[in-house]
Amino acid sequence: MSLNRKTIVVCGGGLDGNFVALSLAKTLGADFRIVQIAGSERRADNVFYGSATSPEGYNFLHALGLDERTLLLKSQTAFSYGSFFRRWASPQPWILCHHAPFPILAGIPLRHFLTRSGAPLEPLLISARAAALGRFAHPPDDPRNPLSRAEYGYQFSPDEWIELLDSLVANSRVERVRADITGIDHQGDTVSAVQVAGRERVSGDIFVDASGPARHCIGALASNYRATRNVAACAERQDVPQLGPPCRVIEAGPSGWTSTTHLQDSILKIRIDAADDNDLPATAIQMALGQLDEAWIGNCIAVGHAAWAIEPLTPAPMMLLQRDIVRLQELVPGSDDMTTERREFNRRFKDDLAHANSFHDALYIPETRPEAVPRRPLSPGTGSEALSRKIAQFKNRGILVSYDLEPFNEEDWTQNHLGMGRLPRQHDRQLDAIPVQQAEHDLARLQNVIDQMVSRMPPHHVYLARFKAYLEKKSHV
Amino acid sequence: MTAGITRICILGGGTAGWMTAAALSRKFKNLGLDLTLIESDQIGTVGVGEATLPHIRFFNQALGIDEPAFMKATEATFKLGIEFCDWGKLGDRYIHPFGDYGLPIDGLDFHQFWLKLRQAEGADRLDAYSYPVLAAERGRFKVPDGNIDQIGSNFGYAYQFDAGLYAGFLRTYSEERGVKRQEGKVADAELDPNSGHIAAVRLEDGSRVEADLFVDCSGFRGLLIEQALETGYDDWSEWLPCNRAVAVPCEANGELVPYTRATARKAGWQWRIPLQHRTGNGHVYWSEFISDDEAAHQLTSTLEGPALAEPKKLFFKTGRRRKFWNRNVVCIGLSAGFLEPLESTSIHLIQEGITTLVELFPKDRIDPLDAEEYNERMGLNFERVRDFLLLHYVATQRDDSAMWRHFRELTVPDSLQEKIDAWLTRGYVLKYEFGVFLPPSWIAVMLGQNLTPAHHDPRVGRYSIEDIRDRLERIRQETARAVDVTPTQAAFLQRYGAASGTSLRAAQP
Ligand SMILES: Cc1cc2nc3c(=O)[nH]c(=O)nc-3n(C[C@H](O)[C@H](O)[C@H](O)COP(=O)(O)OP(=O)(O)OC[C@H]3O[C@@H](n4cnc5c(N)ncnc54)[C@H](O)[C@@H]3O)c2cc1C
Repeated sequence: MSLNRKTIVVCGGGLDGNFVALSLAKTLGADFRIVQIAGSERRADNVFYGSATSPEGYNFLHALGLDERTLLLKSQTAFSYGSFFRRWASPQPWILCHHAPFPILAGIPLRHFLTRSGAPLEPLLISARAAALGRFAHPPDDPRNPLSRAEYGYQFSPDEWIELLDSLVANSRVERVRADITGIDHQGDTVSAVQVAGRERVSGDIFVDASGPARHCIGALASNYRATRNVAACAERQDVPQLGPPCRVIEAGPSGWTSTTHLQDSILKIRIDAADDNDLPATAIQMALGQLDEAWIGNCIAVGHAAWAIEPLTPAPMMLLQRDIVRLQELVPGSDDMTTERREFNRRFKDDLAHANSFHDALYIPETRPEAVPRRPLSPGTGSEALSRKIAQFKNRGILVSYDLEPFNEEDWTQNHLGMGRLPRQHDRQLDAIPVQQAEHDLARLQNVIDQMVSRMPPHHVYLARFKAYLEKKSHV
Repeated sequence: MTAGITRICILGGGTAGWMTAAALSRKFKNLGLDLTLIESDQIGTVGVGEATLPHIRFFNQALGIDEPAFMKATEATFKLGIEFCDWGKLGDRYIHPFGDYGLPIDGLDFHQFWLKLRQAEGADRLDAYSYPVLAAERGRFKVPDGNIDQIGSNFGYAYQFDAGLYAGFLRTYSEERGVKRQEGKVADAELDPNSGHIAAVRLEDGSRVEADLFVDCSGFRGLLIEQALETGYDDWSEWLPCNRAVAVPCEANGELVPYTRATARKAGWQWRIPLQHRTGNGHVYWSEFISDDEAAHQLTSTLEGPALAEPKKLFFKTGRRRKFWNRNVVCIGLSAGFLEPLESTSIHLIQEGITTLVELFPKDRIDPLDAEEYNERMGLNFERVRDFLLLHYVATQRDDSAMWRHFRELTVPDSLQEKIDAWLTRGYVLKYEFGVFLPPSWIAVMLGQNLTPAHHDPRVGRYSIEDIRDRLERIRQETARAVDVTPTQAAFLQRYGAASGTSLRAAQP
């Protein structure tokens, strides 16, 4: 390890730039200087990070200082059990909820029971039931309690989180340069400095491009952004007297969809449409969905929207941003030769993107009624063969095909398949040993336990208000 | 013919055949499956395969097998890992343990802290922070209890057992659950002219056994999958060229250690597997560089006690069957492929094959989609084991014989080269989810064979050397203390009710 202190320059001040600067400052020692260049302009692309996180975000956010006290007391963040999909592939709404693991009866996965009986999944998942009834409670530690499997993420507004992060960054060792980037000094693929308006250039050893679609840094190198589709987003926030349910609602339109996110004092509506849709308002924000061929080139690493853009249909954007950051943390180079780190980063980057795209593509392949989902082309390339295998195996007999370290887990995939109407042709053979009546009875009992639990859970707004009061009291002690 | 897949014929009564029979009879009880196993005393079994991986415990548990009773019946010992001698250099030794080194600190891998300390001022060997390594070295054992995140419990264990006795044990188990055993030699198979499926096998005595699904556990021959269906074999000798073995059991001599030993030789390597009643030994070699007689001599001249049988010769070709599931035949065991027993993976691959078959078990017909999925999954399993085995041969500084020089010249598969590069650069282990060997295994072998990372993960830079030294010292002492209060394996076997009493030697103090 070279003993010289190294400088990492983070280009960008949006959600991505703030997250990455803060996380590097927290995880690296004093042998790394962290400089962040944040422009004056508020970035419009933040809306494409969506408005929901998944349960895997909890520890990540917590480690950065975005603990529940901060999120709930200092922003309008609320809890999220997942998203309801309305008029999406099915006349009935269905949910993609966080729940792990699914119940297992007699050693046989739940989905096989449903295949045989034709019963719906949702009444057997506590987080789905609670979401539908607008109730919430923290999961207890005791694994025997069914509520312990109700995982949750957050419903949030990216703009609010940027502000929270701004103040966390300001109180950290990140050296912040408030200026707009005007150019890059580089030789071949090696960047040496960033030129900024009205100041001296900022030089460094490693450059993280978190400048969003502007791609100030990596765009100057031999990078290639492969756009697959242009979309437009409109966001609108309306005040409400009372917090809504702990879940988003996604509703399909002809060429796009709208999500409704329930924040403490308001609802956030995000509408995503094809960019060529005629009746788009002038305020619509355009975005080329797609990704870089290589997110790490030379000594420059692109994260977030500088590297990719995906619809905020699920928590995928926040999951991918988190993965970008974790991947970077794990591979921050310790020497000037970054060959190994670069190769591994790019390998994992491509895998993560392919898996997330595959999950989204699967939400556009309805089993019946092709008109029942918004029209859009599927993302080309790597994900597709894997996706066909996943779909074929699930439809055949409820087999869940998994690849290494996918962002979406088996529970997510099961709900995706069933929600989209992909019903297995047959169930697991082991189930034949369990008489139909007994299985029905067991399922009814499970449903009953869940119904009772949920009926004792408070409404989301009541729980959140009480929890906030508790947090406030605690912070005064 | 009855509707659906109800008649199952397992061909072969070795470890693969009886493990399959036991699992199917248990998993599909009450389904009225008609399970028949054919084996031939005249042909016999391969008669080796004594060392296992920790996963086998889950297999036994799923069958509801009582651990002490099983160990007693199979003369089994506990296994905490494998000791590798002379692999990196002559005179080297290390243990590949089933378990972690130290404990993660703030979510960062323990070995990264150790690397930093070592680079800064030197550190005790990484083994000093591994409970299973220290316990193995001192001949001690206990089953892990309580919290797996605690020193003294953060390890797994496997068994070393008599393969013949294990097959016998599972035979009793299976027959009690309705498996019919048919003794006799299969002469040939009848193909259904329309589907190309195997309709029946004919035995030498003229009898026929019809079935809807055949599980080919006939060993290297691959009687159905290859001789009848001509499925084809992917030859991996290019990577793993050892192609013969000679095996001989001998009287045990000395302490009953809870590990297998694999000692590198000039043209292969030699195993030592301690069981309660005897020690298993064998020499795996590449016939290109050593004669059979010389290989046998090397083995028999280094036995620790009198031989208990004539040396047995075995011939094989490393590789895998092109399809593990072809038409209505699923091959499990040696018929599916062969990877040398350096990391005791064969029985594990049998187990994977069975678990996957149970998950994909056909209902009303043989479905090509099931076969496809089965083949994908098992292919990945085989390939990942292959890379791990190859690592042992290429991570070497030896050049004292033609075989070692061959490996030093070899171009390894990209998948393996990338792993080695990432490790050498910064002690980073490329992770995967599906595959038997987890990062600690890769760390054990790479470090044990002198692949030393040039740097460490820069994130440990936020801890001072004093802090790291203190933390590591605490873990080191805690590990040593935990081993101090661990009984010897012999004492534990007794106490656990797993001692066979055949010829158990008291462990040396
Ligand atoms: C040198 C060596 C060392 C090994 N060490 C280990 C180890 O340490 N750990 C490990 O996990 N694995 C090890 N293995 C692998 C392990 O031995 C096998 O995976 C295991 O024994 C399973 O063998 P099998 O049942 O597939 O085949 P076999 O044991 O060969 O059984 C084949 C069966 O098929 C029957 N059969 C064959 N042809 C006919 C016919 N025509 N009619 C009727 N019946 C027939 C035979 O009678 C027999 O019952 C080792 C292998 C070798 C070669």
